[in-house]
Parts: sequence; structure tokens; C-alpha cells
Amino acid sequence: MSATLGTGSLELRGLAKRYGEFVAVQGADLMIAAGSFLTLLGPSGSGKTTILMMIAGFTEPTAGRLLLGGGDITALPPEKRAFGMVFQGYALFPHMTVAENVAFPLRVRGIGRAARDTRVRATLDLVQLSGFADRRPAQLSGGQQQRVALARALVFDPALLLLDEPLSALDKKLRAELQEELRALHRRVGRTFINVTHDQEEALSLSDEVAVLNHGRIVQKGAPAMLYEHPRTRFVAGFLGKSNFLHGVVQGDGTVQCGPWRLHHAAPPAPGTAVLLSLRPEKIALGQAGDNAIEGRVLSSAYLGAGHAVVLDTPIGPIRVHQPAWRAAVDPAIGTTISMAWAADAATIVEDDDAPG
Amino acid sequence: MDGIYRPGWVGRALGWGTALYLVLPLFIILPVSVTDQRFLSLPHEGISLRHYAALFAAPDWFASIAQSFWIACASTVLAVGTGTLFAIACWRLNRRSTELLRALMLLPLIVPSIVYAIGLYRYFGWWDLLDRFAGVVIAHGVTGIPYVVITVSTALASFDPRLEQAARGMGASLRQVLAWVILPRIMPGIVSGAIFAFIHSWDELVIVLFIASRDVFTLPRRIWDGINENQDPIMAAVAVLLIGFTTLLLVVDMALRRKRDT
Repeated sequence: MSATLGTGSLELRGLAKRYGEFVAVQGADLMIAAGSFLTLLGPSGSGKTTILMMIAGFTEPTAGRLLLGGGDITALPPEKRAFGMVFQGYALFPHMTVAENVAFPLRVRGIGRAARDTRVRATLDLVQLSGFADRRPAQLSGGQQQRVALARALVFDPALLLLDEPLSALDKKLRAELQEELRALHRRVGRTFINVTHDQEEALSLSDEVAVLNHGRIVQKGAPAMLYEHPRTRFVAGFLGKSNFLHGVVQGDGTVQCGPWRLHHAAPPAPGTAVLLSLRPEKIALGQAGDNAIEGRVLSSAYLGAGHAVVLDTPIGPIRVHQPAWRAAVDPAIGTTISMAWAADAATIVEDDDAPG
Repeated sequence: MDGIYRPGWVGRALGWGTALYLVLPLFIILPVSVTDQRFLSLPHEGISLRHYAALFAAPDWFASIAQSFWIACASTVLAVGTGTLFAIACWRLNRRSTELLRALMLLPLIVPSIVYAIGLYRYFGWWDLLDRFAGVVIAHGVTGIPYVVITVSTALASFDPRLEQAARGMGASLRQVLAWVILPRIMPGIVSGAIFAFIHSWDELVIVLFIASRDVFTLPRRIWDGINENQDPIMAAVAVLLIGFTTLLLVVDMALRRKRDT
């Protein structure tokens, strides 16, 4: 059935959802290539789950269209779209065994028992749950339930797999493991995956592309490295990792006047422009020389094993620095005054929207 | 459970007192049923099973048991079918009006059955349903609906609506969702309701007194007449069998609940 819906490329055209006065999603435009892994990333209430539910068909959009492989599916009910979906909390059928759960989409399609069993076995192999076919969901760990949910969503070979915060219920270590597995699974099955999460690390490590959402709007979309290195706005820079924000004005010689300092920037706009610089903490080096060198007094310093998270007091406010702990140039002892430096191309100019919540 | 307060002597006394209060009237029936006397009384010189023997030899008692059983079965089917569908509909629509309707469905529990019986008597008179098997089945079925509505609604309240979403998302039609996901999940509630509806019909007397007379002569009716007319200890024997049967049904219900909770 899913095959007749064409390939797994999906297009959102001005997709919007309003609940009375409240705008959950405002005019989302998105093109998702077949076979890619897209993550909708945003804080809670940013509209990411609403978009996913509109793609699945459970929520009816107020405006806009959904195109799958070029065909309009806006009016199709969810059972006709039949995208694979992994729900938050998995929504496994508690009264069925693992095998019965995974067989459900095939049973719905009237596929015979023999064919069903073969497909179920192959899919359970795919998620490494072969020995668990006769267990009930309640007898499985969180990670295993998650895999059953994945198997059940993939067994009928849907054009699209939708994942609603699939890893949020798991502890940190398991989450990292399953991220890797999910990534590998995506490569093996070659289907379009659309993931929703508020976890920026998960978004960066899993996806081919990330769409960052805030207040029901897609703020920026792009490959993880592109988003991290070239955030378009303050919100994106602050939500994807940590960042220092420096207000300044471009001078006649192309430097940026920022408090008492004239900072060098690789690509300054026209003189007189007020700019906001986003500077990642790990791009600042302590006790070293660079294009921009300033001093600060250490306010706090936390040892994190791999590195130090240091906050330095400067004339323009506190600046965060991450530096590797191994063979560090200086010891960031609290109260000491140390120098820091960064390259001219380390900072990015961002648009000043609201700060991340 | 660990870490909870242990009951004091007042609590214990109250608990046992309540339990005794509930079961003592039942236990008095047991010695009466094995009396060696010809009338309802405690055994005088020894115990005897003659009234049980008499019961199994009496065709009219057997006819009443059979009749009560078939009426209870048929009215249970009626109550479970309509009650379950109603509960599911209310749950799915979930509007203020459905709350009102649900309260309305509980009316047979609230209205005194004698009032209900008088009303039924009128209607059944017009529709020629008096003293008919079908009439009693309809009356018992309708008054059994509240039990089913209550138990099925309770089961539905704990049903995770995402299960239905998940099933739909995988391509299941409404009928498939109902048959494969919703009904199996609420089956313990349905069976519970069925057991209560069955027991309700099985020992219902007031309505039967009004709408049945000679052709339909249920077991409670025969016990009633027996007590009024001849104080025959055979009734005690019947009562013991009834208590045993009802207890069995409740044990089944408890076992099902336990299965659902795990």
C-alpha cells in the first residue's frame, strides 16, 4: 500500500495549525528528500510534535499542504497514509507478544501467516531481538521496547518512518547506544526518517538535516555541522550547544568595536552596522595568542574530565570557555586573571531573535 | 506493602465486625439446608441431606432453575452488547452530552426497582410481553446495562489512546482497531460487567413479580412463593447452591481482574 504512495520524499507547503487564538505551527515550509534523516528540533511548545502529528495525519492542518512524492496527501486519513511511527512511550500493544506486535501491520493488510512469520522474524533480526518473540512488552527493558516499536514501524516497509522523541525515556548511556543503532538502521533500510526531539546532541548525531523550531516557526534548516558553525540567529546558536554573545558595531577599518575592544572578524559587514557575534566556548583558547586576545578573571571553573568549563569575568560581562584539560596551557584557578584568544573566523554574526528558553 | 501503618485494635474489630455482618446471614442458611425437620429451622436431632435430594427430584424446581439460567444468559447478552457499545461510544465522543447520557444509563440502579416494575408492567401490557420469556429478558437486560456501562467505562478510562493512534497509523481500519486493540484491552471489564449483569438477572425478584405470573416462573420467584406458602427447607438447599454458584462467578471475576492488573 505504501509503495503506491510513491517515493518517500515529503514536502510541507505553508503547513499551519491554530487552536483558537493559539498558533501552534505557523506556515512551515520544508522539503525532505527521499531516504534522508531529518530531525525537527525545538524546545517544548515549539510546534515540532504538532508538525509530526500533521505529517502522520492525526492532527488536521488549519492551512497548507502535504505532498508525498509529489502527490497531495493533505486529506488522507492516517490509516491510508500508513507511515511507520514510533510513539513517545512506544505505544506497544500490552496484550500481544513481541511477535504479535510486530505482525500487527501485516495482519491489518491481510498478509498470510507464513509470509507474516518470515517478515516478522527478519525484522526482529534487524533490531537484534530474535530471542524475544514470545515475550510481552511488560517483560522487556526500555531499550528493548524501543526496538520492538522500531521493528513494528518498519516491518511493513513504509515510505516514511516518524519518530516522536524515541529516545527520551531512556537513560543517557542507552540513549547513546540506540542513537548509533538508529543511525545504522537508517543506512540499512534506506527509508526517509523524520525524528522529533528536544535533545540537541541527539539531533546533531543522528540527522542528515536538522530543522530548528521556535514558537511554531522553522528558524533554520540545514546539515548539523552547517547549523552548528553558521547559526542564523541567536536562538539557533544558543539552542544548538552553548555560545557567548557579543554586541558590537563595525568600524571603518573593518574591526568590531565591542566594549573596550576592537575585535577582528573574518567577514565584517559595512561600517556602522550593529552586529551580534556568536562565539562558541570551545573556540576560545586560554593562555594563548590569537587574532583577538583579551583578559579575564576566572569566576568559576568546573572540571569535566575531558575538559574545563570556565567562566571569566570581562568588561563586557561573563564569557564561557571550554578548554581541554589535557596539557592545558594554563590552570584556570578561581580568582586568577588569565588571557584568552580566538581566531578572526571563530565568531559568527547572528540575527538577534529571542534567547533560548 | 512495607512502611504502612498497621491497623490498631479498633480497626481490626471494625473490619471483622463488618465481615461477619456481611456473611452471617449467608452462613445461617447452611445449617438450615441440612435440617432434619419438615420446615425452615435449624437441625434438631441430626443433619440430613433429604432436602437436597428432594430438590434434585423436584421437576418444578429444576424447571425454574433452567428458566432463570436461560433468562440470565439472554439478558446478559443483551446488557453486555448494548452496554459495551454505549460505553465505547461515550468514551469516543467524550462530550458534555455523553456525560449526561451516561448518568441516564445508570438510572435503573437509582430508580427503585418497584417503580421500574410498575412502569414496565404498563408498557409490556400494551406490547403483549407480560409473562413472556422475551419480556423478562428485556426487563433484566435493560436493568443490567448499568453494571456493564460502569465496568466497561472503568476499563476504557485506563485505555491508552495512543494504542488506537498506533494501530491507525499502521493502517488498521476502525473495525480492526475495535476487534484487535480496544476490545481485547477492555475484555476484563466486559466480563466483569457480564458477571454482574448475570447475577442481577439471576436473583431479580421484584420486576418478575410484576411482569410474570405462570409461564415464566424464575427461581427467585419460586423461593418467594415457597417461603410465603409452606416454609419448605428445600429453599435453603436452593439458596446454598445459589450462593455457591454466585461465589464461583465472583471468584472468576477476581481472577480476571488480577490477570488484567499484571
